This record gives sequence, structure tokens and C-alpha cells, in this order.
Amino acid sequence: MVKPFKKTLLLALLLISGMAQAQHDQVDEDGFKQPLKHLQFNPGLDQEEFERATLTALNIYDPLESWNRRVYHFNYRFDEWVFLPIVDGYRYVTPTLVQRGVTNFFSNLGDVPSLLNSLLQFKGKRSMKTTARLLLNTTLGVAGLWDPASKMGLPKQKEDFGQTLGFYGLPAGPYLMLPLLGPSNLRDTGGLVVDFSAKNQVNFLNVAEASTHHPEIILLEVVDQRSTVNFRYGQLNSPFEYEKLRYFYTEARKLQIAE
Amino acid sequence: MPFYRRLAALLSGLVLAAPLWAADIDAQSYGYPLTNPFEATIATTPEGLRPTLPADEDIDQDDYQVKLRPEREFEVPDNFWSVTKLRYRLAQQKGEAPLIFIIAGTGAHYASSTPEYLKKLFYGAGYHVVQLSSPTSYDFMTSASRFATPGFSPDDADDLYRVMQAVRAQHPRLAISEYHLTGYSLGALQAAFVSKLDETRRSFNFKRVLLLNPPVNLYTSISNLNKLVQTQVEGVNNSTTFYELMLAKLTRYFQKKGYIDVNDAFLADFQQSREHLTDEQMAMLIGAIFRFSSADIAFTSDLINRRGLITPVGYPIGEGTNLTPFFKRALQCDFDCYITEQLIPMWRARYDGTSLNQLINQVSLYALEDYLKSSDKIAVMHNADDIILGAGDLGFLRRTLGDRLTVYPLGGHCGNLNYRVNSDAMLEFFRG
Repeated sequence: MVKPFKKTLLLALLLISGMAQAQHDQVDEDGFKQPLKHLQFNPGLDQEEFERATLTALNIYDPLESWNRRVYHFNYRFDEWVFLPIVDGYRYVTPTLVQRGVTNFFSNLGDVPSLLNSLLQFKGKRSMKTTARLLLNTTLGVAGLWDPASKMGLPKQKEDFGQTLGFYGLPAGPYLMLPLLGPSNLRDTGGLVVDFSAKNQVNFLNVAEASTHHPEIILLEVVDQRSTVNFRYGQLNSPFEYEKLRYFYTEARKLQIAE
Repeated sequence: MPFYRRLAALLSGLVLAAPLWAADIDAQSYGYPLTNPFEATIATTPEGLRPTLPADEDIDQDDYQVKLRPEREFEVPDNFWSVTKLRYRLAQQKGEAPLIFIIAGTGAHYASSTPEYLKKLFYGAGYHVVQLSSPTSYDFMTSASRFATPGFSPDDADDLYRVMQAVRAQHPRLAISEYHLTGYSLGALQAAFVSKLDETRRSFNFKRVLLLNPPVNLYTSISNLNKLVQTQVEGVNNSTTFYELMLAKLTRYFQKKGYIDVNDAFLADFQQSREHLTDEQMAMLIGAIFRFSSADIAFTSDLINRRGLITPVGYPIGEGTNLTPFFKRALQCDFDCYITEQLIPMWRARYDGTSLNQLINQVSLYALEDYLKSSDKIAVMHNADDIILGAGDLGFLRRTLGDRLTVYPLGGHCGNLNYRVNSDAMLEFFRG
């Protein structure tokens, strides 16, 4: 009685393992799964979608290209020789906790123009959230040194005047590489100026006024900003970094405006 | 009793005489969550399954530069000023420690995400770490490559070897107990050639060499990658290009989400959403990335060697010169085109080469078959669903490396390098 039972069990096991094998019929005798086999290829293998898409993407209005490229190289050098050494020194001497406090503090100030621009675009929900962030972080977060709002599920939602202009349909205009500030365009450069003066007008937490007497506050803000932006010139490691940066910037702005 | 003994002797003899099989990890016990090779390649391991790594501020590291080809400064145009010296990154331990070199993959910079990850992994385990750009990258080609025509593996390995020697010479006080070597993707193939070179030059006497997802037949890998941009992608038509399609998907995804947040979990979350990419779209994306690499290689190699295929010889290039027309030309040159137009002519002139098949044999792992068979210090980790492999490649590795090969069932191309099971295995291998 026992023996035939064992045999059927063995048979059943063999069958099961056979089925398990059949499920992976793409696997060859080396155990290679041939991942490209099920892809749908263009039959002639002669489509030029990559070329078409990329050549189209290179069409960005850039009448000041020669100037822009020079500024790109200037920024690259400045970053390498001045900016990043300062940032590294700052990071070396400042404890991580303090760095985070500084970042949070300036980020909290930045929520003021974000709120104004959300209002200008009639984004009700976003305005409410940014207001809540400002209230929470300025009080509970001690003038913005901590960011309890993000932990409570209110992530930062940046809006600038360039985005507001884009929201109302203003085109980007010519691409511009701004000295020290990096990639931009005519519309966003205008936006930058407006946001800057708005910040000065509002004078939130009296920082704008204090910085006129203490330019080191501005310096700290600039250094903090550079240390939180991850981009490094040369990081794309391509002779065509200028073109790639231009494309990424333009598309990222489109995305920010559409969202 | 004697019969049993004889049987035992026979059996143990059989077991000992049996060929050493590669370690095949079965999918069930492996537990890697991404079964789609394209998804694994692009998104890599989900955050919770990655190893714990030291934070950036806890790593004593710096970028250094060495001048290896002083003539280049005068040969290349002004806008190449940033790459006339080779840069690399060194992370140092406090006292004496073993040192590991990491060679980056195709076109990759020493500071790109995979070498950075490997650095953190090995630094956390107590190694000095040196990160090197790939010999196919823009900076390496300009500042360290003798012929600036990468692809001929023995030459690339020679260039790498000189770089490693220069790196060591730059840090005479660094206390090093022994040397190790690793590389991923194309960097793994080059690591094998570097290790071979080290057997005769003996500068480092590498103790262990680990190849992570190397191409076996370089031409198969290149053909696979070239083919990826030939997939039929749903949604691409006369009015929408592939990039526009991708960006439209991203926009809809972020609109739905309510805010823009690109973090480590972003890709995984994106693939769970309605906008997720199909296999063909992911394949096209991967293929496109490699086409950008081949464009950079074709342009840089042509310019440095003054071949006049992309940039006319003597064309004045300064910092303000518009390079877009050359970019457009270079974009139309895939790896096949680069090999035919630049690598083969150089190889024929320099090494008296003949056919493409001969070149393939000289630059692929085939050239090192005997060395790989006999050298116990080399191990390979690969994936059964790696998109750069072709039929027969795993078989070659199995025959050549025996039990020094580990085949993971999933992971695509390098997608499981940051999976905890893999990182443990890597550290275990170097620990010996």
C-alpha cells in the first residue's frame, strides 16, 4: 500500500516541477532568460525615433547662444574655484544640525513668495497649505529653524513669479544663462526680480531689512542655497552638457508650470 | 564493511571529481521584488531592501586630479578646459586598510550614482576607495586615454593601469594593506583586462577582483543596446516624439499627485501609477541613454584624433562656439557606426587587425578565457535576465569560471547591485 502511494507522489512531484519549468519557457539551457525576446521591435530595425525625438528636443529658442555659452563656462569656473570651496568650508565647520536649521530658516522665508504666487494663480488648496506651513513652521518651528509642517504631511510646494507668468500663458522667451545664478529664460529672470522685490517689501521676520545692514545674511543664504542644490557643472560628463542642461531646464519649468 | 567503505570512497571520489557548478540562486529564496528586467535596470532596488550605508558627512573623501597627458591641453579646443586633467575621488580610512578601485560603466563619471553607491558600501566595510571614470567617458578620453579611441579592451586596461599607478603615486602616505579591484558593466570587462595586465606588471598584485554584470561578447551587448531604440513604442506618432510622450506622462503623474517630489521612491511609485511605462518604452529609454553615450564617444574621439568625420579638421572652436550642429551629427552615430568608422580603422592601423570577428575576440572576455579559468582571485556576479547578454554568454561564464560565477535570477542590468543580498555577497567575497 505504501509503495505505490510513494510512487504516485513522486510522479505528482515530477509533474509539478515540469509545470514549473514550462512557465519559464523563455529560459534557455544556460539559464538565460532572454529578456529582449518578447519586446515588440520595429520590423525593419530602421526606425529613427531616437534621432527624430532628440533633434526636435534640440530646438530651443536661444538667440544669445554664444554669450550664454561663455557665461556657462564662467559659472563652471566660478563654481569650481570660488563657490564650491566656500560651500565645502561651510559644511566642514558647521554642524549638520545647524546647517539643517539654516536651510529650514531660509526655506520658511521662501514660503512667502510661494504663497503670494499660489494666490495669484488662484490655487486655493495650495495657498491654504502654504499658509498652514508658514504658521506652523514660524511658531512651532521657532521662526522656521525646524520644519514640523513637512513631517505633518504638508510638503513644500514652491511657486515663483516665473511660474505665475507661465500659468497665464506667457511664453518662456529666449533662453538665458545668468551669471552665477545658472540656467533661466527671459520670463523666469523677470520673475526672479519680482520675487526678490516682493520678499523685500513683505520683510517677513524683518530679515530683508536686517540684511541691508548685515550683508553676511545674504551671503549665508547664497551659500546655503548652493549647498542644497545638488547640481555640479561637469556632472553630466558630456561635451554637450550645455545643450542637455538647456533642455532639462526648459522641460522642468514646463512641468512645474503645468503642475 | 569493506564494500561500504569502497562505495564511500567511490562516491566521495565522484563528488570531488564533479565539475564545480556556478552558484545559481533560485528566485524564491532570492526575494528580489522586481521581476521585470527593464524596471530593475531603471529603478534599481526599492529603498527598504538596500543595505545600510554610511552618510556622506561620515566619509573622509576628496576629489583629486592628475595630469597624465600634458599635451592634450594644447591639442583640444578651449571649451575642453575642464577635462584636461583626470579627476577621481578617493575616500580614505584613518589607519592602514585595503584599497579598492572601482571602474565605472559605459560613459559613466566617477561620481555617478553606481560608483557612489559602491564607494559607500566598501567604505562602510573599512576599505580605502578610489572611484575612476570609465575609459569611454568624456573626461577619461580627453585626459587619460593615449589614443582616445576606447573600445579596444587591452588598450583601455593599459590606460586604466597608468591611471591607477598615478593615483597611488599621488598619495604616498596612504597606508594600504592590499589591493582589490571591481567594476560594473563595461567597467567589469575592463577590470578583467586590468587584472590580466597586473599579472605581468605587478604594481598592485590584486588580491581579489570582482566583475559585476560584465558584457561577455562586447558586440552582442552593443547590438542589444542599439536594438533597444528600435522598439515599437505605443503613443509615439507624427505629432508626438518619444520624449514628449515621457514628459506628458510625468506631467499627468505629478498633477495627480498634487506636487512635485523626486526622491528615491519616485520611480517605484511612478511604475505603480496609471502612467507606468511599458517594456517597450523602458527599453527605448535605456537605449536612448546609451545612444547619448555613443554620441559623446564618437564626437570626442573624432575631435581629439582630428579625423574630420564629425568636426571638420581645423574648425575653430572656442568657449562661445555653438556645438549643436556637431551634436546633431554625433547623435546619428550609434555604437556600430563608431566601431566601423573610428575604432576599426585605428585598430587596423595600429595592430594590423583584419576582420570584425577578430576584433570581437580580442576585446571580449573570450580573449581572457584561459586566464579566467586559472585565476582563482576573479569572480563574476551576473543576472539571468541581464539585457546586455545574448544566448550562450552565461554558458561561457559557467564553463570558464565554474563556482566563481554567481547567477542571480533577477535584477536586469545592474539593478540588484544595491540589493542587500548582493551587497552582502560582494563584501563576503572581498573578505575572503
